[in-house]
Amino acid sequence: MHDRGQAPTGRVANPLGLPAEMEDTAQADQFIPAGLAALGIEADEIDLAVMAAVHGLLWEPLLALLALDTGGVEPERLADMSEAPR
Amino acid sequence: MSEGLDLGLRAQAAAIAAGEVDAGELLDATLARIEQRNPALNAVVETFPERSREMLATAPDGPLRGVPVVIKDEWPLPWRAQRFGAAQLLAETAPGESGPYRALRDAGAVVVGVGNMHELGAGSTGNVSVYGPARNPWDTERCPGGSSSGPASSVAGRLVAGAVGADGLGSVRFPAAYCGLTGLKPTFGRSAMEGHHMAPITTLIVSGPLCADAADCRLLGSVLFGEELAGGDAAGLRIGVVRDTVSEDVAPEVKTACEEAIEVLRAETGGTVTEISLPDLEAATLAAILIINSESMSGTRPEQLNRLDPELSPIARGTLKYRMLLPAAATTQAALLRTLMRRRLAAIFADVDVIAWPTIPAPAPPLDSPMVELPSGTHTADQANVRGAALANLTGIPSISMPVGLSDEGLPVALQLQGAWGRDELLLDATEALERANGRHWVEALPPLAAAEPTEV
Repeated sequence: MHDRGQAPTGRVANPLGLPAEMEDTAQADQFIPAGLAALGIEADEIDLAVMAAVHGLLWEPLLALLALDTGGVEPERLADMSEAPR
Repeated sequence: MSEGLDLGLRAQAAAIAAGEVDAGELLDATLARIEQRNPALNAVVETFPERSREMLATAPDGPLRGVPVVIKDEWPLPWRAQRFGAAQLLAETAPGESGPYRALRDAGAVVVGVGNMHELGAGSTGNVSVYGPARNPWDTERCPGGSSSGPASSVAGRLVAGAVGADGLGSVRFPAAYCGLTGLKPTFGRSAMEGHHMAPITTLIVSGPLCADAADCRLLGSVLFGEELAGGDAAGLRIGVVRDTVSEDVAPEVKTACEEAIEVLRAETGGTVTEISLPDLEAATLAAILIINSESMSGTRPEQLNRLDPELSPIARGTLKYRMLLPAAATTQAALLRTLMRRRLAAIFADVDVIAWPTIPAPAPPLDSPMVELPSGTHTADQANVRGAALANLTGIPSISMPVGLSDEGLPVALQLQGAWGRDELLLDATEALERANGRHWVEALPPLAAAEPTEV
């Protein structure tokens, strides 16, 4: 779904071809109710409004994170956060 | 009035040890001051005088014998379960001996109260809590910072000289910055965390001290670490600075105060300032948010979210549900970026001793509208604050916030130093060097509320 070569701060192309300004709204409108339904989580209008706002803040940076090229990063096995990486 | 009431933490400990201050009188005076000042601050959500007196009566001859401290509502006490500033926790809690409690008790300290906190630890402002918001002693209509809002407000308001907070995405450093205190976010794993309901699953949260200055943080930190944080000197300090959003997209008075402080620190230590490159900071911030949000939902069943307490804030209810939808692929990617950032930092710390940038991009915003104006526009304080704090939690490195000035509105401005893993002592040394160079001006500055009439007992 994402272009691994894309710059970290870049926006990922919308596979549905929606105008960029509609992207977040469309994603929130579809993604949140579908996700909640799949998990059996109930939400009222206020919950949905909060979730849409959080989604609006997080989703674009999340897509940018997914677009980062981490293919060459050797995973840190048994990482110990109290020390420098081995 | 106990003469020890307005002393700092180490001065209180020394005065008690020397017999110059009676610990029982100090405890009574502290309780009286909480009663007097707390209505304006809502920093302390519960006191338990009999329990405190029992602690004092059985206090061992440790480094904090008889010294009253506040602990954040994030750990259980033997007589009280933590509430995490919320009407409901998804994890079960019960009274018990947490690691920070044991560390304090074994050092002879007296837990005199529980500090307020931002609901579920999920905010940098402290303006949302089941107990009502804690308030900033510098301006009680301003945010005290979160999530360790009560510990910071109680120290800045001089209810106590030291408090224990927790830092998962900046929650010691933000309130330290907003309240004009020194706050240490230790290297991951160095400070006591046992008994925290997320300790077994989180890889980001640590306990940490909030005090007026670095020497007091060293003392309280040594207790929390279970080892002495020996003092050294920061001679020849190699300071790294990053020309990025964290240092550039900040209020002009913050930028000026921090740049001046960095230069003062360089001159005081005979050190150097070097510009360094630290790419992907924005993505690293999100990585930390994703990881802590995912970890915090560990063990949560979807049906639990259909039984949320109506007294949880709407923001908490919505964000808890949203966290369940976070894509696993993004969290995995966050873990890879974490590794990448740790390796980058390890390389950077071969060339510099500390990385310096503002703790907060703007001084404390109003409680009723926690928004900040930055060169890039208007942002929620949470959104703006976290970008300078999350790196330390993501990677495990220690970080310290110290006051370096006051804004035009009389609100504290703070600088943050970050060091390599295990170099908490160097951060304290460097902070002490800056305090010396500034004539201790900012660490001894008192907010209007704390400069009020002394408590009569």
